[in-house]
Amino acid sequence: MKTYILVANDPGVGGLVEQAATWGQPVVAVVVGSKDLTQVAACPGVDEVIWLGDPGNHGIEAFASSVAAIVADDPGVVLAGRRPSERVFLGTVAASIMAPIITGVQSVSFNNETVVIKHGIYGGIAVATTQFEGPIAMQIDGGAPVVGGGTAVIETRSATPTTITVTSLTPPEVASVDLDTASRVVGVGRGLKRSEDLGLVEALATRLNAEIGCSRPLSEGLDWLPRDRYIGVSGAHIAPDLYIMIGISGQLQHVSGCRASKVIVSINNDKDALVTQDSDYILTGDLYALVPALSAALEKS
Amino acid sequence: MRIVVAYQWACDPQEALVSSDGKIDFSRAKPTISDYDAVAIEMGCHLAEATGAELIGISAGGEAVATAIATKAALARGLHEVFVVSDPGLDSAGTLATAVTLKAAIDNLGDVGLLLTGDSSLDSGSKTLVAVLAGLLGWPCVTDVMKVTMDGDSLTIERTIPEGIQGLHLHGPVLVGVTSDAVKAKVPGMKDVLSAGKKPARVVSLLDLGVRLPGEGEILSVEKMAGPSRQQIRINTEDPAQAAAELVSALRAAGALDA
Amino acid sequence: MFGLTDEQELIRSSVREFSEAEVAPLAAEIDRDHRPPLETIPKLAELGLLGILIPEQYGGTEMDSVSYCVVIEELSRCCATTGVMVEAHSSLCTWPIVHFGTEEHKQRYLPDLASGVKMGAFGLTEPGAGSDAGALATTARRDGDEFVLNGQKVFITGGGYSEVFIVFARSTEAPGTKGISAFIVDRDTPGFTIGEGERKLGIRGSSTPPLMFSDVRIPATNLLGREGQGFEIAMATLDGGRTGIAAQAVGIAQGAFEAAIDYAQQRVQFGKPLAALQAIQWMIADMATSIDAGRLLVYQAADLEDRGIPHGIAAAQAKLFCGEMASAVAGKAIQIHGGNGYTEAYPVERAYRDAKITEIYEGTSEIQRLVIGRSFLR
Repeated sequence: MKTYILVANDPGVGGLVEQAATWGQPVVAVVVGSKDLTQVAACPGVDEVIWLGDPGNHGIEAFASSVAAIVADDPGVVLAGRRPSERVFLGTVAASIMAPIITGVQSVSFNNETVVIKHGIYGGIAVATTQFEGPIAMQIDGGAPVVGGGTAVIETRSATPTTITVTSLTPPEVASVDLDTASRVVGVGRGLKRSEDLGLVEALATRLNAEIGCSRPLSEGLDWLPRDRYIGVSGAHIAPDLYIMIGISGQLQHVSGCRASKVIVSINNDKDALVTQDSDYILTGDLYALVPALSAALEKS
Repeated sequence: MRIVVAYQWACDPQEALVSSDGKIDFSRAKPTISDYDAVAIEMGCHLAEATGAELIGISAGGEAVATAIATKAALARGLHEVFVVSDPGLDSAGTLATAVTLKAAIDNLGDVGLLLTGDSSLDSGSKTLVAVLAGLLGWPCVTDVMKVTMDGDSLTIERTIPEGIQGLHLHGPVLVGVTSDAVKAKVPGMKDVLSAGKKPARVVSLLDLGVRLPGEGEILSVEKMAGPSRQQIRINTEDPAQAAAELVSALRAAGALDA
Repeated sequence: MFGLTDEQELIRSSVREFSEAEVAPLAAEIDRDHRPPLETIPKLAELGLLGILIPEQYGGTEMDSVSYCVVIEELSRCCATTGVMVEAHSSLCTWPIVHFGTEEHKQRYLPDLASGVKMGAFGLTEPGAGSDAGALATTARRDGDEFVLNGQKVFITGGGYSEVFIVFARSTEAPGTKGISAFIVDRDTPGFTIGEGERKLGIRGSSTPPLMFSDVRIPATNLLGREGQGFEIAMATLDGGRTGIAAQAVGIAQGAFEAAIDYAQQRVQFGKPLAALQAIQWMIADMATSIDAGRLLVYQAADLEDRGIPHGIAAAQAKLFCGEMASAVAGKAIQIHGGNGYTEAYPVERAYRDAKITEIYEGTSEIQRLVIGRSFLR
């Protein structure tokens, strides 16, 4: 079975290529985007690149059925990332080949005709080990951008986009951030009393050269931070070298988005908060004292 | 013309108890209409009012989704009627099986110009169902949508992507995944609650629709989720400055502060 | 009845969702500032919560008594002040107009009361007439096609912002309670002044000013019911009010109880959460059981009312039990919180202060005991 990597106008598929490489199957990247994108998609680990042409002013999702037709011709294992267009591609392809969709993938092993996958279920409260026969669709964190340099043949195929036309694009007032690829992150939660106090957290993040993330209530509901800062099961999945959690209780919905962090520090005034179970270093106390102290200590050193 | 909202009646996984041998117990959790879908229903109400379309809710699941409390909870939010596929075979249905079932419901309904749904499943958080359903129906699909206006089968949509707010124009029928903050879902008022029981609620089984569920793999085992085991080193915080210094040197030693 | 209907369960979840989003965030502030949450009135109206006892033909949502009690409980769980704001308006003003008003009264007042354009209040209590309501001294002298009111009322819930007042005054020479009549008085009537709200121990956001009547002329058609029927109207109204206040008490207790559970699960002393200690487990058990018992007494009284069966004693039992239960549960909730519970940082001290009034207003526990005891020992 081939492994398909779906590229939806974004080169951030390094993680998918990495995964696919471990399986020893031919890897085909199906690309919707500019010609340059096909060049970077032709990276080590990709054997074939199929280009469906420049989207022009069609919405990327307009090509979902054309992508699906390509895979349906020769069904296999399909991988895509978690960005909006990537999800639509994955779902549309899965429908065309009747492939179950698996998210929260922890490990994949191929045995002859079957694939055994260990994956999170119910938003991450448990892990199932499931055996699949036939084509499957996996949603995996896209990872770093690929930069070409491989030997894949790039083939252009015609596409029949559906009627989705882009009529405008208004850049956001604040530049969006991709926490998934940040190497250091400082996260803030409901322990912060007022949005004015974010300055404390920002100072620490600046010292550390870290991105700022948050638990869901701060970006939805309280609206203290933009939505792309929310770390959690349906938000950013971070895997930084260092993640410092400030005033976060450690509920599953948040923690499942940061489990891949190398080192986790938590600052919380509750000695027995859930978050302590997922921390390498635990500081129990008042964040209003500890966070400035930490910023100061970092400045000194 | 019909506007359909696909909603989920499910329990929040946070309320489930997972024992160490992997048994998942939802008995203490109460199912509700997913908050994400409540937003989609609200948007559907606005559009139905603006266009005069019929607003129909569809859902698929085990026994619970067809109970009076479930259908009334959905109707109380403003749907004109609900159409529910209830079957024991759907108890543990995943994204693909659910999509296949909903597709059959939509085919059965006919005259659907727009399908709205919340951007995540309450229980799996996968955000892919709407796309699978779109693929099965052969209709275009757009997600992360904040605003929809309809004029016949011509739709104008605003949605958020990393690059900003994108304006799109489409021809229906179309599936739309609505962001959780697109509109504020209204709390059902007393009149809505009291009249919910009088609105139509149609319940069918998989057999009634002629649906054969696709395989979604065979579960070999289930375990409690264990993250990588953490060191859980507690740093004494009596003196914040000292605690900070201690943490910084520990992080440096662990290589976490390398540039 | 031992279970709520689907509609009643949905009403509970709707009002809970509303209360947590719109009512709870204001609770501490209005308590601290002794101010009524006027901004909540249009939101309550939008949900249909101000017309619960008003028939649909007058713009109300007319729900059964059990549903009404669920609404009051859920509002009070987040804020006792908001709970009594809706209860007094509904049970003490809209209800008597529906049951004793002429068609003209209903057309004139009910639509505005249902939509929250006007709020309603009940003027019975006087400085010299509390439990002994029959001793009231406010007079209503007939003069041609008007009545002239003179006197004063005290502790009138909602007085500060209400437009429609049900006022009880002595209109004939008949002795004792037989001379009392009920009147509907509009706020802006010349001679009718409303004083400053009292500063109270609890339900501090509830407006409770005195009312002063100085030669207040109202049309004779504003007589509610028959002349001399006033005391009967007051007592019938307070019967329904009892169940409403009992529901408020259950809500206050429920809120304090949930706060106590949260605290017990998080607070660690002697190396484990308080929840692991048997003493705390027993306190929680007692609290839970008494709240459930109180709730069932409320539903029983409401259910009897819905079925048209005399419910006065059941209502008295519900209020007697729930008022004392709420004070006890709130007290235990503070105890579980320890020193923290004694501070404004935690919500249980407010529940404790709010609970006390439920043993007093709309019929003291002592009056309830008289009513209940006498019913058995006639």
